[in-house]
Amino acid sequence: MSGAREAQLAVLGWNFRSAQEHVRERVAFTPDEVREGLQRLLEGGLLSEGVIVSTCHRSEIYGLLETPENTHEIARRVGEWRGLSPAQIEEGIFRREGPEAVRHLFRVAAGLDSMALGETEILGQVRQALEIAREAGTSRAILHRLFEWAVATGKRVRSETEIAVHPLSIASIAFELATRVFGDLRDNTALILGAGETGALFARHAGEAGVRNLVIANRTAKRGEDLAARLGATPMPWEDVAEQLHTADVVVGATSSPTAIVRREHVEAAMRRRRNRPMLLLDLAVPGDIEPGAREIYNVFAYALNDLEEVARENRQRRSREIPVAEGIVEDEMRKFLGWYGNLTLVPTLASLRRRFETSRDAELDRLPAGERERFRAFADAISRRLLRDPVRRLKGDEDPARKLERAEALRFLFDLDGPDEE
Amino acid sequence: MESTLLGWLAVASYAAAEVVSARALWRRQETAAHSAPLWVAAGVALQFAQLWVHGRAIEAAPYRTLAGSMSLFGWMLGISYLILFARHRERAVGPFLIPFVILFSALGLLVPESPPAGAGEGGTRGVLFAFHVNLAMLAYAAFTLSFVISVLYLVQARQIRRARSGRLFSRLPDLEQIGRMNRTSVTIGLAVLAVSVLLGMAWARQVWRHLGDAKVVWALLTLLAYAFLLWMDRRGWEGRRVALLSIAGFCLVLFSYTIVNLYFSGAHQFR
Repeated sequence: MSGAREAQLAVLGWNFRSAQEHVRERVAFTPDEVREGLQRLLEGGLLSEGVIVSTCHRSEIYGLLETPENTHEIARRVGEWRGLSPAQIEEGIFRREGPEAVRHLFRVAAGLDSMALGETEILGQVRQALEIAREAGTSRAILHRLFEWAVATGKRVRSETEIAVHPLSIASIAFELATRVFGDLRDNTALILGAGETGALFARHAGEAGVRNLVIANRTAKRGEDLAARLGATPMPWEDVAEQLHTADVVVGATSSPTAIVRREHVEAAMRRRRNRPMLLLDLAVPGDIEPGAREIYNVFAYALNDLEEVARENRQRRSREIPVAEGIVEDEMRKFLGWYGNLTLVPTLASLRRRFETSRDAELDRLPAGERERFRAFADAISRRLLRDPVRRLKGDEDPARKLERAEALRFLFDLDGPDEE
Repeated sequence: MESTLLGWLAVASYAAAEVVSARALWRRQETAAHSAPLWVAAGVALQFAQLWVHGRAIEAAPYRTLAGSMSLFGWMLGISYLILFARHRERAVGPFLIPFVILFSALGLLVPESPPAGAGEGGTRGVLFAFHVNLAMLAYAAFTLSFVISVLYLVQARQIRRARSGRLFSRLPDLEQIGRMNRTSVTIGLAVLAVSVLLGMAWARQVWRHLGDAKVVWALLTLLAYAFLLWMDRRGWEGRRVALLSIAGFCLVLFSYTIVNLYFSGAHQFR
C-alpha cells in the first residue's frame, strides 16, 4: 500500500556549511555522474523521483522517498560509489524532510544559502539540475513542480529585493562603476597595465562586462602578448602607454612597479586629446600605478584598491539587509507550494485511512457468526463514519499547508497507513 | 466645470505615472515602469481636451490667463517627457520630472481664474502670435527638463566619484546617457526658442513697430546662454560644467518667466 504520492519529500547532502572540502570534492558529480547516480537510486527502489544539485559548494540529493530512513541507505550507497567509508560519508551530511526540504531548496535557489549571499549562478545550476533529471526521466510530477517553483522563487527574490544587485568582488565593483559612467561599455576601450594574476583577472572581467576593445600592456612584452592572445585582446608596447593613454576609457593599473606608471601629466595630456571625455582609472597595484594627483583632473574618475574594498564591505551589508524580505518571499512561496502538495498528498492519505477502517471493520465482522454479520455491518459502518467525520473535516479545513502536511503524515504514522494491510 | 474635471483627470493620470515610475525606481519593478509613459500620454490627451474646452469657454487661447498658461506649461512638460522617452527610452527620469508636470497642471486648476488679458490690444489672435507663445512655452518646458536632468547628473556623478553604490546609483542612467539626454533637451529647447523669438519679432514689427521690451532682452540672453552651453559641450565641458551651466540657464528662464514677466515687461504679462 505505497505509491509515489504517499512518499515523502526529502533532501540529503553535503554543502560548504556542513561538510569539509575533502568530503565535498569526493561527492561532487559531473552531469554524467548525476544521471548515473539518479538511475542507480531509482533502480535500487530508494527513490520514486530524484534530482541532484551538484556545484562546487554543494551536492544535494532531492527525492521522493518511501520512508525517511531511506536517506541512510542512499548515503551509504553514495559512500560506496565514491569510495568513502560510512563514517566519512556521514561526516557533515545534512538531512531535511517534508516542508524543511522545500524550504531548503527555495533558500538555495534564492541565493540565501550561498557562500556569496544572493549570487545568481545557483539559479542556473538549480535549473540545470532539473533539466538533467528530466532527461534522465527521474523527475516527474512532484519534483518537476518543486524545482520549477524553486526557480520562480529565486527569480522573485532577485527581482523584488536588492540581494543580487550590489556586486561583491573588486573586479565586479570596478566594472559596475565603469558602466555607471559609460553605459554598456561595448564601444569603450579598456587598457590593462600588467599581465599578472590581477591584470588577467580584470582583463577577463572586462570581457564579461561587455568591453570589446581590450588592450593589454606589460613591461615584459612577451607575457603581455600571450595574455592578449589568450583573451582576444590587443597588445600594446609598454613604451607607448603614456602616448596612447587617451585612447583608453578605462585604465586598470595592476603591475608590481615600485613607482607610478601613469603620471598626472600623462592623464592631463590624454584628457586634452580626449576633449575631456570621461576617463576611469582603477589602481589595483600596491604601491599604486597611477599618481594620486590624477584624481583631481576634470572628468577623471579614479579609484584605488582600498576605495573598492570599502564598497565591497558596504555591498555585503546592503545584501544582508535584504535577507528578511527574501526569507519572507521564500516562506510565502513555500506556503503556496505546500498548499498544492498538501492537497495532492491528502487525497491518498484519506483514501488509505478509510480503507484501513474498512479492513478493521471487516476483520471484526469476520469474527462474528455468519448470520449476524450483516446485522452488525450497518452499525459498524455508522461508527466508522462517525469516527472519521471530524478528523477528515478538520484536516481538510486546515489553512496552514505545512501543518496540514504534518498532520497528514502524523495520520499515516499513527494508523500505519504505509504498513501492510491488517489481515 | 467640464474643463476642470478633465484637468483633474489629467492630473490623476500624471499622478498614476508618478506612482508607477517611482515604484519601479525604488523597488526595481521593471514591468511597472512600462506603463508610466502610457499614463503620461493619457494625461497629455486629457489635458489637451481640458485646454481646448477651457479655451472655448473663455473665448481665448489658454495662455492669456495665468492659470491657463500654467496648465499649458504643465502640458508642454508632459509632451517634453514623451519626446525624451521616445528618443532615449529612459524611464528613470520620470519620477523626478513628472512632479513638475503635476505641480504646474494642478496650479493651473487651483489658481483663481482672471479675465483673459493679452499682449497689447490688437493682433494677438493671429496664428503667428499663437505659434510664438506656444513655442516659447515648449522651449521653457525643454529647459525645465534639462534642469532636472542636470541635477540628476550632479547627483549621479557625486555618487560615482565617491564610489557609493546606493539605491539611486544602480537605478539612475549612466553619465553618458544623462549627458545625451541633456543635449537633446537643450537642442530642442534652443531651436524652438529661436523660432519662437523670430516669430515674436516678426509679429512685434507688424503690431508694435518696435522690439523694445525687457522680455525680448531676456529671451535673447537665454538663447545665448544655452547656445554657449551647447558650444562648450562640444569643446570639452561635457559633464559637471555643462550640468551647472544648464542649471544657471534654467535660473535665467525662471527669472524671465516670473520677475521679468511681472515687473519689467509691459507687453508680456500673464497675471
